[in-house]
Amino acid sequence: MKKPLLILDNIRTGYNSDPVLRDVSLEVYPLDFIGVIGPNGGGKTTLIKAILGLLPLFSGHIHFPSGRPKTGYLPQASQIDRSFPITVKEVISSGLETSDKFLPFLSSAKKEKVRKMMDETGLGSLSSRPIGELSGGQLQKTFLCRALIDEPALLILDEPNTHVDKHFEQELHEWLKELNKNMTILLVSHDIGTISPMVKTIACVNRTLHYHPSNQLSEEVLKVYNCPVDLIAHGPVPHRVLKSHDHE
Amino acid sequence: MSELLTILDYQFFRHALAAALLTSVLAAMVGTYIVSRKIVFIGGGITHASFGGIGLAYYMGLNPIMGAAVFGIMTALGIEWISGKGNIREDSAIAILWSLGMALGIIFVFMTPGYAPNLMSFLFGSILSVGKTDLYTLAGFSLLTLFIFTVFFRPILYTAFDPEFAKIKGIPVGTYRYMMSVIMALAIVLSIRTVGIILVLSIFTIPQITAMLFTRNFALIIPLAALWGITGSVAGLFAAYYLNIPSGASIIFFLTIQLMVVKLIVTLQRQVQRRSG
Repeated sequence: MKKPLLILDNIRTGYNSDPVLRDVSLEVYPLDFIGVIGPNGGGKTTLIKAILGLLPLFSGHIHFPSGRPKTGYLPQASQIDRSFPITVKEVISSGLETSDKFLPFLSSAKKEKVRKMMDETGLGSLSSRPIGELSGGQLQKTFLCRALIDEPALLILDEPNTHVDKHFEQELHEWLKELNKNMTILLVSHDIGTISPMVKTIACVNRTLHYHPSNQLSEEVLKVYNCPVDLIAHGPVPHRVLKSHDHE
Repeated sequence: MSELLTILDYQFFRHALAAALLTSVLAAMVGTYIVSRKIVFIGGGITHASFGGIGLAYYMGLNPIMGAAVFGIMTALGIEWISGKGNIREDSAIAILWSLGMALGIIFVFMTPGYAPNLMSFLFGSILSVGKTDLYTLAGFSLLTLFIFTVFFRPILYTAFDPEFAKIKGIPVGTYRYMMSVIMALAIVLSIRTVGIILVLSIFTIPQITAMLFTRNFALIIPLAALWGITGSVAGLFAAYYLNIPSGASIIFFLTIQLMVVKLIVTLQRQVQRRSG
């Protein structure tokens, strides 16, 4: 039996003194790929901010049995100030480990690492471009590179599909599948249809959390677990995708 | 031309030029941070709240700039603290501190016996009466700020851009934010000497906006803003002397005209490029 990477033990958390999530328990194991779904305002982002240590816990505990893993984080696109004067290269460099942050210049090894990542992801020619001049896909790619540059063990993505085209969505899909061979992924989305083919298991978050150890959710299961109704009321698309998809 | 430069024989004018140069460089660094983080309104709050300190210092017979510095720093730290809490409306809190500072200043000045002759110089600046001590203070603080911006450039940039991510990466975000608040407050208060409370914010914003017509790279905006600040303020200073108009207002006027002219040229150039390309 593998040791869990992270254990949420009955946590209650939220903003100020207003609890958004209550009684949330979850065990995340190495190389899991969990889709965190639920309606807007249900607490998906709150959940990952608590895991990242950005929000205080009102009660409960978060354990990291093997110590806090190196974590890469892609925030929601709406959290990014696109008019801020910062370049692609600088954004990606900000994801590097922090031991020498005091030095004004990056070591040549780190510069090389950033350059290599940009070349591999097709951002090389945009290196000195301010982020305000990027397309939605290029922007998400830049922030994904920032999350990945430090080679994390746990990757947390908050709605990476916002403002991107179908082509990038497909690319992201392949990319994440490849990454999942070496790292644990938590992927937040309000849209189960687009993420269910990628993820291995699903956590429904709507004030509380229900974990489904499969990426196949039937209407009955959702009802039994009292999962958010508007999820299954999305229309025929999610069901077609879910039921027709064969996952290993 | 030589006639124009005879003014340089006067020490007070040489001092004024030095003050304009130093203020431009200092404001270029701090102003780029302010404009990038979109916290110009916080700068306004710090500026006006510091008037309370000037009034109190007058009343107690102390150095007014010291009073302004204390009030400015307290306001800056207070606003940073409030914005970190998240449950108080930040803009309203700034407005309260802004007007409270002005009110306190007026009350203390009113209560001080006799006439306060220098008060107008704090509201509108008095670059032509800058002394050696003022210059040394300004130069010392500009050097310190330059040092901090050079050594801590990356954490300053990262915490300004995305504080949550910076926190996850283990950068002490709170420390940097508070440090920048203090630097902001002191830079603003020291610049009050040059252009005055009412106009000071413009040297922290107009040269940066002009620079951002050319680049959106934080590190490049700073030297470019310093350059635009220097050309605008030196032109304003000469105009003030020869046209016999108040120096602070003249500097702001030239900074603004410069912005408009540069903007016009850049826009026309881009149109020409588009047509030919």
